[in-house]
Amino acid sequence: MDDLTREFLLESQEGLDRMERGLTELESRPADAELLAEIFRSVHTIKGTTGFLGFPRLEALAHAGEDLLGLLRDGRLKANPDIISGLLALLDRLRGILRSIETSGGEGEAGLEDRVTIARLEALQRAEAFVPGGAAESSVESAAAAAPTSPARHFSRGKSRRPSPSRPLSPLRDQPAEAGPQGNEPAAPPAPEEPEPASASVRKKAASSPRPRAAAGPSAPVATGVSPESATADSTLRVDIELLNRIMNLVGELVLTRNQILQASSADAAFAPLGRRLDMVTADLREAVMKARLQPVSHVFSRFPRLVRDLARSLGKPVRLELEGQETELDKSLLEAIRDPLTHAIRNAVDHGIEDAPVRAAAGKPAEGLVRLCARHEGGHVLVEVHDDGAGMNIERIRAKALERGLVSAARAAQMSEREVLQLVFLPGFSTADAVTSVSGRGVGMDVVRTNVERIGGKVEIDSHPGRGTILRLRIPLTLAIIPALIVRSRGQNFAIPQSALVELVHLSSEEVATRIECLENAALYRLRGRLLPLLFLDRLLHQLPRESAACDIAVLNADGRRFGLVVDSLADPEEIVVKPLATVLREIGFYSGATILGNGEMALILHPGAIAQSAGIGLAEETPEPASDAAACSGRDDFLLVETGGQPAALPLETVVRIERIPRSRIERAGSRPVLRFDEELLPLSETTEKVADPNAQTTVVVCRDGARQVGFVVSRVLDVASGHSLRQAGAASSTPGVTLLRDRVTTIVPLSSIPALESAEEPPASGEQP
Amino acid sequence: MIAGTQESAQEVCSLRVGDTVFAVPIARILEILGKPFLQPVPLAPDFVGGLVHYRGEVLTGISLRRLLDMDPAPSPEDVLVFESPAGPFGLLVDSVGEVLSVSAAAYEPNPSTLDSCCQALFAGAWKLPDRLVAALDPERLDPLRLASAFADSRKGSHARSGG
Repeated sequence: MDDLTREFLLESQEGLDRMERGLTELESRPADAELLAEIFRSVHTIKGTTGFLGFPRLEALAHAGEDLLGLLRDGRLKANPDIISGLLALLDRLRGILRSIETSGGEGEAGLEDRVTIARLEALQRAEAFVPGGAAESSVESAAAAAPTSPARHFSRGKSRRPSPSRPLSPLRDQPAEAGPQGNEPAAPPAPEEPEPASASVRKKAASSPRPRAAAGPSAPVATGVSPESATADSTLRVDIELLNRIMNLVGELVLTRNQILQASSADAAFAPLGRRLDMVTADLREAVMKARLQPVSHVFSRFPRLVRDLARSLGKPVRLELEGQETELDKSLLEAIRDPLTHAIRNAVDHGIEDAPVRAAAGKPAEGLVRLCARHEGGHVLVEVHDDGAGMNIERIRAKALERGLVSAARAAQMSEREVLQLVFLPGFSTADAVTSVSGRGVGMDVVRTNVERIGGKVEIDSHPGRGTILRLRIPLTLAIIPALIVRSRGQNFAIPQSALVELVHLSSEEVATRIECLENAALYRLRGRLLPLLFLDRLLHQLPRESAACDIAVLNADGRRFGLVVDSLADPEEIVVKPLATVLREIGFYSGATILGNGEMALILHPGAIAQSAGIGLAEETPEPASDAAACSGRDDFLLVETGGQPAALPLETVVRIERIPRSRIERAGSRPVLRFDEELLPLSETTEKVADPNAQTTVVVCRDGARQVGFVVSRVLDVASGHSLRQAGAASSTPGVTLLRDRVTTIVPLSSIPALESAEEPPASGEQP
Repeated sequence: MIAGTQESAQEVCSLRVGDTVFAVPIARILEILGKPFLQPVPLAPDFVGGLVHYRGEVLTGISLRRLLDMDPAPSPEDVLVFESPAGPFGLLVDSVGEVLSVSAAAYEPNPSTLDSCCQALFAGAWKLPDRLVAALDPERLDPLRLASAFADSRKGSHARSGG
């Protein structure tokens, strides 16, 4: 295929995508002149180029579409659902032919379908959706005036075989229903449709259509302006994704080299600032390259208006789709990966979530169902939510179904919270039941959705309110290529555990190994806060040499709802790792999802917790998260993270702790008088530290906590433990003493999160009391 | 080089494993890595000697010693990088020798008496004046191909011990 054709394909596909978006929008704004002009342009460009490249099939189809769109644009026809359906059918035809050109190089034989599509478009031109009276008259004038001045028109003038658009109009204006010159197909039925339950209108939130509307009436010739696309086209460039991957790879290499240089240069005082500079530039470069791979979610979202429209029409339910946060950006490969799960979720929402119109009316809801799709950034993730305002899921039916399928025990089912019951629909084997469609509402094929989302390191959740609807939440990492992981060691070898699966870590000293690890037949178990946690030994799993050292660490993992402890020799640092694919031969082992190169140049295999759990037969249903009753039982008590700072123990409320970071001292910078830490694009205010710093490369620990909407970091010397504290009553007072708790039988200060001032108020003197 | 022999001569790289000398056409070698760090892969098929870091990629290293049922190498090994349809892979050898110029006339396919394991790995041999050099064919060393060959020949005898 030559370059010209390839370019034509790319451009046409983009044009058709724009056309599809435009058409579905047109339904809610049938008279929007600018929208019509844009759709017209898409088809017109295709027609122009095909004539030039010699694709007669495409040309004939595009020609028919252009005629109809010309009438719409000039305001002589008014868009109605039939016309939009016809144009969408044309779009599908065009897409099909483009695909055929892409795969076989030719557009294939023009068949009956082409003729049918063209005939349908021609029939629609004569339908009586004509704007009657004055509007039509004025548009005839404007057509005469506008057509020759439009640059788009100029472009095709030389080779256009199409008669002037005003030719068929004059007779038709008077006798709209008269058959055309071909006369061999039935004229379209009268346009005013029955109170149209099948129309799915699409409304984008205001933010997504920033372009000013053309203020003039229907006759305003819009095509005279410069197309809005041409401006963006000048400032953007198409880059081969392979090249981006290659750059990403090289940046990964640079990161490694940087790490080695930093290690080597730490002794040399003159070299250290250079090393830090290199460090910063590399970090920025990596971020910039990652950004280059990001695309707005609108690339995927844009196909859903059409999906909802078609589905709603075929089901006879009026459904409106609202899109929000379309500008949210996501890595291209991830965007591809969520396309199918989202399609499925939206299909489910329309098909099973939204009730039929009579049911909605009986429930006092508006006849038109609403599906809302929104995306936004949240803490290093992208959150995509699919809301519907349907009937919600029937919790009791799900519980009963799960019981019937043997997915949970009766006792377990009885004590599950509603939320827990809802998550059962993600279990494989749940949704294969035929009868589920009608009872669960949204539960169909959810295990597939979950598998797809978890494959890319994301999480799925479902939330439902009976009578008010269902929300499906997908939490997607920003990028696939780099994931946060914990490096662990087994028999002197490095392995990486993705942080997404990691729940907590337990260290066992050599004495504890003997007493705390218990066995039931061959199954090793550990009592984690009173509940049995099945243990797997990494060295045994991997057939490594038997262990010598007795002390070990347990990484408590939750993989697709399977909870288990992975026993490893020791823990190394958490690291952001660049995922490298493994050869098929090694992927087939199943335990590894990839490999990575660590900062010190060594390699580590990335463990696949889900596969490990599955191969070891770790069950799903009996290993659901700890029941909420645990929390209820210790009411009046709170869990705290016990840390040491400035030689004193201090407590941080555990529920506020987001994560714990080990960083070199040198990464702490100052904004004004406040110490801060830079994470990607975010600035984390830190607590003041009194410790004297001898070595700028020494590691320090930062506990990142959530304080309302913001996050703050506490610089601590060590993290000691997690313990529950008792509130203490001040002698003689009725209320408990704020600021202290009884932790391991010692009165411990609770660090107030508010002691770290917000950065805006950096000039204010720091609040006292954060340093014990 | 004499013009008349140019089309029939071929440059090959010699390499040594134990006492045996092999050769691979130079044109097939992407790169030679001198004694790189090898990351072992537990549970991998026998013929995998470890992972090799090559230009930002992690390659599967095929151990020629394991393929020939020899003892592990006493010292760090060199790695030759080859291209396969599924991406590059590495071949671990004791050491890389020199570049030899061999003529096409000196080449002969595998003798029928060669055992089946070597039949599968070698393409043939070059008859040098003083010795025979086995010709390795990177295509036959492609990990995917080895994996299916090994799965066939070793079915049932799951030779991997617990250690």
